[in-house]
Amino acid sequence: MKILVLNSGSSSVKFQIIETDLERMKAHQDKTLATGLVEKIGLSDSRLVLKIPEKPVYQDYHEILEHRAAIDWVLRALVDPDHGLLEKVEEIEAVGHRVVHGGEEFASSVLMTPDVVEMIESCSVLAPLHNPANLRGYHAAHAILPDVPHVAVFDTAYHQTMPAHAFLYGIPFQFYKKRQLRRYGFHGTSHRYVSFRACQILGWKRADKKLITCHLGNGCSVAAIDHAKSIDTSMGFTPLEGLLMGTRSGDLDPAIIPWLMAMEEMTLHQINTMLNKHSGLYGVSGVSSDMRELLKARAKGNQRADVAFRMFCYRLKKYIGAYAAALGGADAVIFTGGIGENSPEVREWTLRGMEFMGLVLDRDKNAGIIGSEGEISTPDSKVKALVVPTNEEKVIARDVVRVLNGLMPSFNPPETFD
Amino acid sequence: MSWELHHVSIIGAGMMGRSIATKVAQEGINVCLKEISMERAEEARSSLEETLDHEIARFNLTEAEKKAILSRITWVTQFDCAAACDLAIETVQENFELKREIVQELDQRMPPGHPIVINTSTLSITEIAASCRNPERVLGMHFLYPVTSTRVVEVVRGQLTRDEVYDRAIEFARLLDKVPIKVFEMPGFVTTRVVLPLINEAMHVVMEGVATAAEVDLALKLGYDFRTGPLEWADRVGLDRVFNWMQHMFQETGEARFRACPLLKRLVRAGLLGAKTGQGFFAYDTNRRRLDRLPDDKPGLA
Repeated sequence: MKILVLNSGSSSVKFQIIETDLERMKAHQDKTLATGLVEKIGLSDSRLVLKIPEKPVYQDYHEILEHRAAIDWVLRALVDPDHGLLEKVEEIEAVGHRVVHGGEEFASSVLMTPDVVEMIESCSVLAPLHNPANLRGYHAAHAILPDVPHVAVFDTAYHQTMPAHAFLYGIPFQFYKKRQLRRYGFHGTSHRYVSFRACQILGWKRADKKLITCHLGNGCSVAAIDHAKSIDTSMGFTPLEGLLMGTRSGDLDPAIIPWLMAMEEMTLHQINTMLNKHSGLYGVSGVSSDMRELLKARAKGNQRADVAFRMFCYRLKKYIGAYAAALGGADAVIFTGGIGENSPEVREWTLRGMEFMGLVLDRDKNAGIIGSEGEISTPDSKVKALVVPTNEEKVIARDVVRVLNGLMPSFNPPETFD
Repeated sequence: MSWELHHVSIIGAGMMGRSIATKVAQEGINVCLKEISMERAEEARSSLEETLDHEIARFNLTEAEKKAILSRITWVTQFDCAAACDLAIETVQENFELKREIVQELDQRMPPGHPIVINTSTLSITEIAASCRNPERVLGMHFLYPVTSTRVVEVVRGQLTRDEVYDRAIEFARLLDKVPIKVFEMPGFVTTRVVLPLINEAMHVVMEGVATAAEVDLALKLGYDFRTGPLEWADRVGLDRVFNWMQHMFQETGEARFRACPLLKRLVRAGLLGAKTGQGFFAYDTNRRRLDRLPDDKPGLA
C-alpha cells in the first residue's frame, strides 16, 4: 500500500510516499516512491522540494505562512501530471503522522480515532511548539483524505522503557502522580531507527550492544540505548531540556525563571517564548539558529557565533560522557539529524579528546561524510563512531502497517507506582 | 445558512484597531484594515511594525510571526472590502455620530447575518443599531488593550441583537482565544463600570493630599496584587480617554460616582495625557517605560 508519511514540524513539513506492507517489510523491500519537504514555513522564500527516483528534482518557491497551505501544496505537487507521481490523491491508502508528545498514554503507535486526536490535543500543553504543528498537519491531511486511516507515531513512545530513576525529577512526587510531570524524551523514532541501522551496518546484534545516539536537528537530543532499549535521554518533560538547540535553551538553572520574571517583569508567556524561540544558538550568537549560518559567521571571526558553536559541542560531549557512565561503557556513538549528518565540525569538536574512553576519531573520514552513512572512527577504535542519516519516515510507514494489522508492539514501561 | 470566519474588516487603524487586527491576524484570519487616507494608513502601518518589533524584543513574538501577521493585513481606505467580509468591527473614537455613520455604511454592504461589531465601552449599541436596516446583526464587543494579551472580551447584546449573530460573536471571541463575558447593554458593562470609580477615587485621594500618586498606586499594587496601579493604568490608557469615558458614564447614568475628578480634568486640559505624552500622573520615556518609580516599587524575590 502507498502510505503518505507526514512530519509536520514547527517550520517545515517533511513528507514521503512509501510503498510497504507486511510482505515487503519481511523482505526488506519497502520502497520510497517520493520524498520531499516544505521548508521555511512562515518566511517569504518557503521552498518545496519533491524528489522522485529517476525524475529530476522538482523545486518551487512560494510564500507559505502556515501548515495548512504547506500540505495543500504538497498534495497538489504529488498529483501534478508533470512532476508528480500520483494520478489522484485517493491512491494514498493511509497516512502516518509523526506526533511529538504522547505523554504516558501512548507507549506505541496508534490509529487516530477522534478520542486519540483529543488525547493528543491534551498533550499539547506538554509540547507547545510541536503537538499543535503535528495536529495542524493531521487536520489538513484529514480534511483532504477523510476516508483513509491515519496513524500517529510518537516521539515519546520509544523512551517509555526508561526506568523511574531516570524519568523522575527531584521535585515532590505528588506532581508526578497529579500532573504526570516526569521526563518523557523525544525523537524516539529517530533514536530507534539509527540504533537499529547502525547495528545493521556493523553486523551487530542490537540486543547485545550499548549505544549512544545523538539526534542533532532543529531540536537536539541524546539517548542511551542498552540492549535495544532506551534507558535515558536528554530531553525531558518537554523538548526544551537537554542540549543547546537552534532556538531552545536546553538545560538551565530553574531558579533563572522566577528571577527573570521578577527582575525583568516578564510574563509566563514571555518566559516561555524566550526559552523556546529566542534562545539556543540563535539567542547566544545573535546570528542565526541555523548551524550552517553560524559556521559561516564563525569562519569570519564572529566571536559570539564561535562561543555558541563551542557551547553546542561542549554540552553534547558532557551528555555522551554521562551516558557512557550510565551504560557502563558504550560500543558506539551515532550521529544523525541535520547537524549530526552534515557538520563534520560539530562531530570533531564533540568527539575530540575522547580517546580516554576508547573512541578515536578518524579526521579524514569524518570530513568526508556529509549527509551520508558511514563510520568516522579509526578501524582500531574500541568505541565506534558513525553517521547514520535518520529515516523516521520508514519507521512511521512500517508502524502504520503494524497498527493496521494489529502487530504493533508496545514499549512497556518497566515499572509503575500506585 | 452556513457562516465561516475567514475575513474580518476593521474600521479604524488607531491603537485599538491595530491591536485587534494583530490578534485576528495572529490566529490566521485575514484582515482588511480601513483608514481614512493612504497617509493615515501608512502611519498606522509603521506604528504597527514598531509595536511588533517591540513585542519581539520583549520575547512575545518571533520575526516569522511578525511577517505572518503583516502579510494577513490589507490596508484600505474604502468600505468596499466590507462586502466580502464575514465580520466587521469598528474601532473609531468613542463618538456616537461617527460610529453610527460607519455602522450604516457597513450594514449597506455586508451580506445579511454577518455580524457588525461595535467596539465601545460606554455607548448604546441599541441606539447605534436602530438606524440600520438590519439592526439585529449589530452587537458590541468591548476589547481591552492590548488585545494581544488580555484574555477577556465583553460581548454586548443590544435590544435587537439576534441570538444567531450573538453566538457568532462568541465563536469569534473563542477563536481569538479569549474568554467572552456575556453582558447586556448598560453603560460601562462590567469592566469600565467597575474600574472607573476606582480610578476616580484614587485621583480624589491624590487631590486631597492624602497620599502621593506613586504611593496610592503602590499601596494598591502590593496590597491587592494589582499588576499595575490604577493611576499608572489610567496613564497608559490615556487620561483623555479615561476622561471621555467618565463623561459618557456620567451623562448616561447621572450617578455622582462617575463625576470626573477635577484633577483629571486639569491634567487633560494641560495636555498631560499619560504615557503617550510622556507625562500624566507619572513620567514616561519614549518607550512608555515609567521613569519615576519609588525605590520600594520593585519586584520582590523572597
